[in-house]
Amino acid sequence: MSVKAFELVPAVEREQVMGEKVRINIECIECCGQHLFLGTNDCFIHHFILEEHMTAKGKLAYKAQKLLHKYLGLKKPVAELKAASALERLIVLCDSTITVVDMVTLELVPFGGIKLKGVTAFCINENPVTGDAFCVEMAVVLARRRAVQICTVHEDRVDMLKEVTTPEQPCALSLDGYNICLALSTQYMILNYSTGASQDLFPYDCEERKPIVKRIGREEFLLAGPGGLGMFANAEGISQRAPVSWSESVIAAAVCFPYVVALDESFVTVHSMLDQQLKQTLSFRDGHLLQDFEGKVVLASSKAVYILVPLPLERQIQDLLASHRVEEALTLTEAAQRNIPKEKYQILHKRILQQAGFIQFGQLQFLEAKEHFRKGQLDVRELISLYPLLLPASSSFTRCHPPLHEFADLNHLTQGDQEKVQRFKCFLISYLHEVRSSDSANGFREDVDTALLKLYAETGHESLLDLLASDNACLLADSAPWLEKHHKYYALGLLYHYNGQDSAALQMWVKIVNGDLQDSTRPDLFEYVVDFLSFCSNLDLVWRHADWALQKDQKIGVQIFTKRPISEEKMGQLNPNDVIAYLEKHSQALLLYLEHLVLEKKLQKEKYHTHLAVLYTDKVLGLISRPSANEEQLSAARQKLQRLLKESNLCRVQLLLGKIQDSELLLLERATLHGKLEEHDKALHILVHQLKDSPAAEEYCSWASASQDRSYRQKLFHQLLSVYLDPDLPGGAQTIAAVDLLNRHAEDFDAVHVLKLLPEEWSLPLLRPFLCGALRASVHARCTSQVAVGLARAQNLQLQHDRLKYRGGPILVSEKKGCQLCHNTFSEPDCACLPGGTPVHIHCVAKKALDLPKRQHENAHRSNHT
Amino acid sequence: MPQASRTKKPDVKVVILGDMNVGKTSLLHRYTERKFKDTISTVGGAFFLKQWGPYNISIWDTAGREQFHGLGSMYCRGAAAVILTYDVTNWQSLAELENRFLSLTDTANTDCIFAIVGNKADLTDTLAHGPDTESERGDEAQPEVPCPTPPGTPLQHKQVSREDAVALYARVLRYKGLEEKACLPAETVCFETSAKTGYNVDVLFETLFDLVLPSILKKRSEGESSTVDLETPMEVKRTKAGCCA
Repeated sequence: MSVKAFELVPAVEREQVMGEKVRINIECIECCGQHLFLGTNDCFIHHFILEEHMTAKGKLAYKAQKLLHKYLGLKKPVAELKAASALERLIVLCDSTITVVDMVTLELVPFGGIKLKGVTAFCINENPVTGDAFCVEMAVVLARRRAVQICTVHEDRVDMLKEVTTPEQPCALSLDGYNICLALSTQYMILNYSTGASQDLFPYDCEERKPIVKRIGREEFLLAGPGGLGMFANAEGISQRAPVSWSESVIAAAVCFPYVVALDESFVTVHSMLDQQLKQTLSFRDGHLLQDFEGKVVLASSKAVYILVPLPLERQIQDLLASHRVEEALTLTEAAQRNIPKEKYQILHKRILQQAGFIQFGQLQFLEAKEHFRKGQLDVRELISLYPLLLPASSSFTRCHPPLHEFADLNHLTQGDQEKVQRFKCFLISYLHEVRSSDSANGFREDVDTALLKLYAETGHESLLDLLASDNACLLADSAPWLEKHHKYYALGLLYHYNGQDSAALQMWVKIVNGDLQDSTRPDLFEYVVDFLSFCSNLDLVWRHADWALQKDQKIGVQIFTKRPISEEKMGQLNPNDVIAYLEKHSQALLLYLEHLVLEKKLQKEKYHTHLAVLYTDKVLGLISRPSANEEQLSAARQKLQRLLKESNLCRVQLLLGKIQDSELLLLERATLHGKLEEHDKALHILVHQLKDSPAAEEYCSWASASQDRSYRQKLFHQLLSVYLDPDLPGGAQTIAAVDLLNRHAEDFDAVHVLKLLPEEWSLPLLRPFLCGALRASVHARCTSQVAVGLARAQNLQLQHDRLKYRGGPILVSEKKGCQLCHNTFSEPDCACLPGGTPVHIHCVAKKALDLPKRQHENAHRSNHT
Repeated sequence: MPQASRTKKPDVKVVILGDMNVGKTSLLHRYTERKFKDTISTVGGAFFLKQWGPYNISIWDTAGREQFHGLGSMYCRGAAAVILTYDVTNWQSLAELENRFLSLTDTANTDCIFAIVGNKADLTDTLAHGPDTESERGDEAQPEVPCPTPPGTPLQHKQVSREDAVALYARVLRYKGLEEKACLPAETVCFETSAKTGYNVDVLFETLFDLVLPSILKKRSEGESSTVDLETPMEVKRTKAGCCA
């Protein structure tokens, strides 16, 4: 409990009230603007002017200047004074009688209307229901009467408005609108004098303890309850705030939002209405009166008057913050909303939230701190600046003044505790991360991103790469040395790349791959660099690094060229010829590149096809000449060559033939090349007689005729058959091969022609599959043709039928029949037909076509008739 | 939570009543702070604002001491639910509910919901122990127990059975002049709880919050109808179809 909410400032000194007389006591006070009235036990009213001024120390002080005092002419004390400032009247209760005096002269004013004698208590309605500004509403309690009288005080008279009976004798009261809050002898109650409705509040023994009934706002009252409780009650009799706890000996209470001030025998206590907590205690002996007037809390002993000056709210809030009472400070700030202009409040509220956030931050309560920073819209650089070296050197940021916190920097905050340092850093990472994804980094993204990058690099956070790979505003000049310091060379490369310095990025990465720099972020960095180069649009850079990549690994390195995306743009496109020329010294890469061009991209250029075929051939020849080469390698190489030769139509056949002419082994290849030249006899000769591979020969026939018509195919197969049957060749006719061929490819032969060719002595069963096939094919062809003929005929008939149908039936023309257009009869057989078959005169149709408007008229005319 | 209590106005009120030392403050504390700690005797009363979905529910913790008894009916005024709390180890605390506290609820809403809650169930029932160990309870629960537990006896005699509470509920309804059948069944609103272990505490409050929702809606609709909104066009409500229906 260390809030200093109020300061006790003397206002009227002892001597000013009583002068030489010792027995004089202050009985009542009224304060109205600068005017202070005191009623004393010797029946005097004193009038002071209270002047506010600032002391040299900047504190508020009061100086009371006595204007007048007036003796009321009785021997009784002045019990109560109430000002009616609009009327310039002072309502005085003295000797159980209400009188009215002039506020300026203190002279008694005679007034008409009712006389108010035997009054025990009265009160003024601070929230009057009558609209008249020049009258004061007053509730009066008379001795020995179970009633409250509602009166209006005018300049010169007092009128009684209403009398409301009460169940018991009232002893204290307060008024708000139509609601009278009453302390009866055994309980409190609320009475609506307009409707007469009443509401019991709670029991209280007014004989034992002096009741307190205090209006604290619209329809809300503060009451002294049992056990020294300050109870709140509204007009409906409901308590909307928890009670505050005073001492049993409480004498008086006043309200100065958000505080409830109470006076007992030796203390003034200050409770907050917001959290009901005791906030301040001031020692004050001989306290007698405590009242608030228009926000001014006046305290009096029996001899002197003091004012409880509330300290500026901001000061109170700062005090609370200084003692780390964050919640209370925020509560107080938010309560101040209704007393401060909106703009000013918003600024104050934000600042307090930020300060609160920093306090919690200092206590490592990061969750709460984050929330407060967010709500307070903290300039994130305030936070970053706490961490040494994180803000870029170029940042123009300076901390706000007055400072939001008391920390110099993180070192000061943690006192070197490394574990704490880590926790602070983790917090900043998560906070900056959130700031980035929201919009609150507006205007200083560079600072935020650079700080985040530094933190990531320092802590080895995995998000470093994500940050650099995504849209970011990291400052290169500031980040590069930092990344180097923490050996994040790969990341540095990314940063260079992001900043358009691909050359520097590549240099960095090449150094890592070569082992000059140590950074194990990416084990596959080489592949990454190659991939990067394959997408790099700066060809100069590509050429510069291609050598390095190819030397490192031709197979992967060549991907620089083979993986290059095809785009329409001229920019960044490589000319294959240049690449081929360049790759001349890297044979493996060259081969891969040509394969890429020919087999994958299917470039139809003779040069590439021939080049690739030559390379394949060289490889095969090389393998043949090398005795150590094994069978598998050779067959793999040959297969590649064979496939290319078969599929490509662009190779320079003669050149290749020349190359393999000498090889005894590459017969199949030679046959294929002959096939390319349409030299089928040579090819078949090689296949049948040299290679003696009849399946290969058959396959050759199929391949060579694949894109040709049936007759070409037949011709080729016949040619093969005749090669088999040629008796002049060494070894004689290859009967078995011939039979197999016939039986297998029956459909590719002209059976009649074959039968003529075959020697007489061959048995029929031998050729049974062939003959069956040939016969079946022939029958099938006949049947199919018959079906086709039948279908065509049917279709023709159908069409004729349709034609006749559309032409319609006969059209009858006779001498009795009239023309639809001119209504004359036909005299000659010639007629024209309208759609629908109506016969008309030829000349009528001609006329109609010429004379459209008239026709329309005629139509109308005709329809009228029918 | 404190944010809410600073700014929002409550939509509905729940009041906890019961004799001193039955654990009213501890129950509320367990629910709001999720922990059990020594509380001092409540002075006057206190309240807590709970955000329940879109609504704010104020929960009033009252003082059980005889001295503050007179304040009870004011606290109960306009309450949508009243939690009558007793101590399962103390028969008198149940009797007091009927003798002293029931009449305080006269000021509550006519459709007020009553819950009968027997606290300190951990002292008599192993079921209610929850995660806490017994040794802890010995020293911590001491200030709460009206007659000190003799050391070494883990479980006390249960003075109030559940049936007693159910019977009390029936008498409460009779006192209110309510038909038992038209009201919530006793098994819904009779609880045995332990603020010490947290046993049944959330269930108690959350069941009640759900039960008072209709009351909130009613209050809101009443609040709306009493204010004329000039912005939105008035909708004429037709309750009856025909002219002579």
